[in-house]
Amino acid sequence: MGKTKTPKAEAPLSDAASEAPSEGSTDKKNVASDRPLNLIGKPFRRVDGRAKVTGQTKFADDLHFPRTVHMKLVRSTVPHAEIVSIDTTEAAGMPGVLGFLTGDDMPNTFGILPVSQDEHALCVGKVRFVGDPVVAVAALTEDQAHEAALKVKVEYNDLTTIASVEQAASTPEPRIHDYGDTGNIHKQVSMSFGDLDAGFAEADEIFEDIYYFEGNTHLPMEQHASIAFTEDDGRVTIYSSTQTPHYLHRSLAKVLELPASRIRVIACPNGGGFGGKSDPFNHEICAAKMALKLGRPVKIALTREEVFYCHRGRHPVLMKTRTGFKKDGRMTAQHLQTALDGGAYGSYGVASTYYTGALQTVTYDLPKYRFDSIRAFTNKPPCGPKRGHGTPQPRAAFETHLDKAAHRLGIDPADIRLNNLVPPDSVTANYLKVGSIGLGDCIEAVVKGSGWRERYGKLPEGRGLGLACGSYLCGAGLPIYWNFMPQSGVQIKLDRSGGVAVFCGETEIGQGSDSVLAACVAEILGIDLQDIRLCVADTDLTPVDLGSYSSRVTLMVGNAAVQAAERAREIIAKAAGEKLDVPPSRLAFSEHRVFDIEDDERSMSFVEAVQAAEAKFGTLGTTGSYIPPRSPGRYRGAGVGPSPAYSYSAAVVEVEVDPQTGIYQVEHVWMAHDVGKCINPALVMGQIEGSVYMGLGEAMMEEQVFRRLPKKRSNALVHKHPSLLEYKSPTFHEMPPVTSYIIEDPDPNGPFGAKEVGQGPLLPMPPAVANAIFDAVGVRVDQVPIGPHHVLEALERKAKGKEGRVGPNKFPDYDFGVPLNVPTVAEGGDGKATNQETAGVRKGIGTMKDREEAVGKGGQ
Amino acid sequence: MTILLPGTLTDAYRMLSDDPDVTPVAGGTDLFAHWPENRVKQSTTYLDLSGLAELRSMRWTKSELVLGALTTYWDVVTDARVAAEFPNLVTAARQVGAVQIQARGTWAGNIVNASPAADGVPVLLAYDATVRLGSRDGVEDIPLDEFYLDYKKMRRRPDQLVTEIRIPRRTYQRAWFEKVGPRKSQAITKVGVAVTVAGETWRIAANSVAPTVCRCPALERYCAAVAGAKGQPLTSPSDLLPAIRSDVSPIDDIRSTAEYREQVLARILFHALNDAGV
Ligand SMILES: Cc1cc2nc3c(=O)[nH]c(=O)nc-3n(C[C@H](O)[C@H](O)[C@H](O)COP(=O)(O)OP(=O)(O)OC[C@H]3O[C@@H](n4cnc5c(N)ncnc54)[C@H](O)[C@@H]3O)c2cc1C
Repeated sequence: MGKTKTPKAEAPLSDAASEAPSEGSTDKKNVASDRPLNLIGKPFRRVDGRAKVTGQTKFADDLHFPRTVHMKLVRSTVPHAEIVSIDTTEAAGMPGVLGFLTGDDMPNTFGILPVSQDEHALCVGKVRFVGDPVVAVAALTEDQAHEAALKVKVEYNDLTTIASVEQAASTPEPRIHDYGDTGNIHKQVSMSFGDLDAGFAEADEIFEDIYYFEGNTHLPMEQHASIAFTEDDGRVTIYSSTQTPHYLHRSLAKVLELPASRIRVIACPNGGGFGGKSDPFNHEICAAKMALKLGRPVKIALTREEVFYCHRGRHPVLMKTRTGFKKDGRMTAQHLQTALDGGAYGSYGVASTYYTGALQTVTYDLPKYRFDSIRAFTNKPPCGPKRGHGTPQPRAAFETHLDKAAHRLGIDPADIRLNNLVPPDSVTANYLKVGSIGLGDCIEAVVKGSGWRERYGKLPEGRGLGLACGSYLCGAGLPIYWNFMPQSGVQIKLDRSGGVAVFCGETEIGQGSDSVLAACVAEILGIDLQDIRLCVADTDLTPVDLGSYSSRVTLMVGNAAVQAAERAREIIAKAAGEKLDVPPSRLAFSEHRVFDIEDDERSMSFVEAVQAAEAKFGTLGTTGSYIPPRSPGRYRGAGVGPSPAYSYSAAVVEVEVDPQTGIYQVEHVWMAHDVGKCINPALVMGQIEGSVYMGLGEAMMEEQVFRRLPKKRSNALVHKHPSLLEYKSPTFHEMPPVTSYIIEDPDPNGPFGAKEVGQGPLLPMPPAVANAIFDAVGVRVDQVPIGPHHVLEALERKAKGKEGRVGPNKFPDYDFGVPLNVPTVAEGGDGKATNQETAGVRKGIGTMKDREEAVGKGGQ
Repeated sequence: MTILLPGTLTDAYRMLSDDPDVTPVAGGTDLFAHWPENRVKQSTTYLDLSGLAELRSMRWTKSELVLGALTTYWDVVTDARVAAEFPNLVTAARQVGAVQIQARGTWAGNIVNASPAADGVPVLLAYDATVRLGSRDGVEDIPLDEFYLDYKKMRRRPDQLVTEIRIPRRTYQRAWFEKVGPRKSQAITKVGVAVTVAGETWRIAANSVAPTVCRCPALERYCAAVAGAKGQPLTSPSDLLPAIRSDVSPIDDIRSTAEYREQVLARILFHALNDAGV
C-alpha cells in the first residue's frame, strides 16, 4: 500500500476518438443482443419520472437568475404588409422599460433547412402572417414588458394576401418570399419510379379518391420559454425549451455573428414538443441578442396564443390517390398528388413536401409509383413537422382509399392489407431499404383482439369497426445540413466511485429518451439506472446529437450509447480479467458485479473493477457515435425517406355514431406496434397511448381554421382558435380504453434490435376512425377532422339518395413539371434518374438548369 | 385595477351607486377567462361579491327554490333534493366547463354574462325562474323570460345586483336538457335545449341559436298541440322546422354552423318527443 502506480498507457485510454464512427450495422457489436438481458425489455421506472411527478424538474420557465429581465414580442396584426415605420417613443417612456430590438439589429436570416433560410429574428421590411414578430421589448417585469409592447406603434402598408394553395398557384405576384420554385410556390416535386403506364395496364381496376387533411397544431402543455444570459468573457448561454439544441446553436451563431464556440445552448426537458419545438425560433434568438445588449439575463415565456402563431404544425394537404388493383387486391401502381399549404415560411417544408410521398411505399408493396407535390407559401402561421411529419396526411388518404377499394373489390379490409405487405429486407420502388417488418403480425394482433372477423360489417346500425395501418422512420437517414459527421454521439466517464457519467446531446421531450440512454449503458455495464448520472442536451458539455425529431433518438443515441458502453466494458473487462485471472471474454457484467461465467466465485464488484481499470489505464472515458447506413437512392430528392429501419403499426377502432347529431364516440382502440425490440414496455405503451390520444384529436376535432380580419380587408387569415378553450382536443371523456400490442421484429440496425414508437402509432388513427364511421353508418367523410356536422351532412345526402360522402371533389390541375424518371430495381435501375437534366421543367418556365442559373443556384 | 371589498350587501349597493362603472365579480370565470390579454378592457374597478354571506345561501320555501347570487353549479350538483325536484338544474350544471369551473362559476354570473351559449339559462327559463335585482333603492323581480332585451342587453341597471334566482316549485311530468358541444367537457354549446312539461304546459328554451338564450313559444305551442293530440302526429324532425325557424335565428360562428344547429335542434327534440311517447 502507499505505492503510487503510474498508469501504463498500454491500451487505448479513450479508444473511440481516433476511430471512425461505425456506419449503420456494419459494426455488429452495436446490436449487443447476444447476451442475456437484465434491464432491457423490463418496465423499469423512467429515470426522470420521480422529478417530473414531484415537480422537481426544471422546465425553462422555472429558471430564474439574479437580475433577470423580461421580454415580450410585438407581433404583426396584419397578414401581409410592408413595414412603413416602427415607433417605440411612447413605449420607451413606460415604467421599467430597458430596451428594444428590431429587425435592423439582426439582419442575417436563419431557418432550419439550409435551402430555406428565410426567417429574420424580427421582421425586416415586411410581415408575412398575423403573429410575425416585429419588435422585442425588455422591461424589469413581464407585466411592464407587456404594457410597453402594447404601446409600440407599427405602421403597415397592406399587400395582397394569399390564403390557399390554389390562390398561391394563381397569384405569382406579389411574392411572399423572393425565393422558391416559382411565384408563391415554394417547392414543386415530381418523380416517377418505374413504368407507371405498364403498372396501370396490369390492373383489373383503377380507383381514384380525393382527400383533404386540414392540419392542426402540436398543443404541448408547456409553452415555449427561454432564458439567456451573457458571461463576462463575451459568451452567451441560453436555456430553452427546444427539441433541437444543436440546430438552435447553429442559427444563433449565424444571426448573432458569434463563433459557435462562444454560444452555449442547453435544452431544458421539454413539456412536450411533438415537432413544435424543432425549429430555431425568433424568441430564442431575440432573448440571446437582448441579453448581449443589456448584459442581464433575459427571459421570455410565450403565451398560449403565441404558441399558436409559432405553429410549425401539420400542413393542410389536399391529395389525390390513384391506384391500380388486381382482383385479389394486389396493387400494381399508384399515382399520388399532394398540395401543401405551407404558411408563411419555409421551416421544414421542403422535407415535409417530400414526406407526403416518400413513405407510401414502405407499408404496402407498390411496384410502380409516381408522386407529384407542391408546397405553397400563404400568409398564415408557418407549417412544419408535427408527429408523423408529412406522412399522416397521405396515410389517411391511402388507408381510406384502401378501405374503399376493399369494398369495391369485395375483399375484407384486413385481407387487402395482408395481401400487399412489403417483403422484409427489400428495396422499395423509390429505393428505400426496408429491413424488418412486423406489420403482418400487427394486423393479426388487432384483428384478433377486436374480434374483427366475427364483428366487422355485422354490428348494429350506428356501431362500427375500422382498420388502418402505418409505418414510420426510425430517424432520418441524412442530417438536415450536409455533413459526414456522426448524427449522434455519446461520451462515458467512469471513475473510482463506481459512478458512470453519460454525456449526450439528446433532448428529453417527454418521450423517455433519457431513460433509453441510461438503460443502454446500464444494461451493458450491468449496473443500476441510479448509478448513472446523465448530462444531456448541453452544447458546451455534451457530444452532438441532432435532436429529438424524426423518431431518431432511440435508434441513433441508443447505438452510440451501446458503442460507448461496449468500449467501456472492454476496458474494465481487461483490467478485471487480469485481477481475476480470467480471460476478458469470459466475464459477465451483471447486478453490479463482474464475474467469470464459468465460475461465479471468481468475481469482483463493479466498483472494484472500475478501480482496477482506472489504476491500469489512468483516467477512464470512452465515446460512441452513430451514422446511419447509406441508402441506395441516388436521385434528386432521395435524401427524404431513407431510415435505418421502419416501424409498423396497425389499429382497429370501434365507434358509436349518433345519427341524430352526427356525434360519435370512439369506444375502443386496439393498437399493435412493431417496435423491433422493446427497450421498456412501459415507455412503449405510453407512446402508443399518447399517439392514440393525439391521433384521435386530429381525427375528431382539432381545427386549424382561420377567419377574416374584422374589416374584411383580407382573406381568412387570422387564427380562429388561438386558445386552449376554443382549440378543441379530447378530454378524459373522449379518450377510449386502448389495448396495446407490442410486436417485436428486431431490426439489425437498432440497438438491441429496437425501432421507434414515438410517432408511428399516430398514423393509423385518423383513417381508422373514418373507416369505422363508414362501417357504423355507411357514409364517408373524406377529410380530417371529421366533425359531427360532416357526418350529419353525409347522412342527409345519403338519405336523399345522393352519394353518402362529404369531402373535396376536385384536385386542381397544378403544373408539377416533368417528372424525374427513376427505373425501379426490378426494372434494372441503379437508383439514379434517367433525366436529371430535364426533370422539373414547368410549362413556360424553362428547365431546372435555367432556373438554377436564374436564381443564382439558390434553388437547392 | 382596483378591487372593492364590501363588508355587507348595503356596502355593495352603495359602492355600485357611487360609481356606475364598477363591475361586480362572483366566481370570475367569465370576467377573467381572457385576463391578462384583454387587459385594456379589464382596467376596471371590480366589486368582489365573494365575501357577502347574504348572497351565498341556497334555500327552499314552501313555494320556491331560491338560489343565492353566489350559489355555484357545484352547490347544485351535490344537492340530492335539487336533483329530485329540479333534475334539469343538475344535468346542466354537470355540463358546464369541468369541475373547476363548476366549483367557482355561479348561476347569477351565468345570467348576467348574458352569453347566448350560457348553459344555466335555458334550464332556468324552462323552470320559469325569476331574477331578483337589488339596489340601494330596493328590490325588483323580473321573470327571466323578460330579462334579456338583445345580445348582451338586459334589464339590469348598473347599480343593481342579482341577489336571488327564484324557481317556483311545481310538479313536472317531464324535464330534460340536452347540450350538444364539440366534446364532453370544457366545451361551449353548439346548440342546447331544455324542456319541461307540467300538465299541458310546455316550456322549451334553447341556447346558442339566437342573440340571447330564449324561450321558444312556437315550439311550445306546437309540442303541446301534438302531445294533446290536437295536431298532426310527428313523422320526422323536419316537421319541427317551421316552429324552430319562427323561434330562433342561429348563425354560423366559430363553433358551428346555422344549418347544423337548426338540424340538430330539430332532431334532438323530435327524438326526445318520440321517446316520451308524444
Ligand atoms: C374554462 C371555462 C369553461 C366554461 N364552460 C362553460 C360552459 O360549459 N357553459 C357555460 O354556460 N359557461 C361556461 N363558462 C362560463 C362561466 O363559467 C359561466 O358563465 C359562469 O356561470 C359565470 O359565473 P361567475 O360567477 O364565474 O361569473 P363572473 O365571471 O364573476 O361574472 C360574470 C358576469 O356576471 C356579472 N355578475 C356576476 N355576479 C353578479 C351579480 N350577483 N349581480 C350582477 N352581476 C353579476 C359580472 O359583472 C360579469 O359581467 C366557462 C368558463 C370557462 C373559463
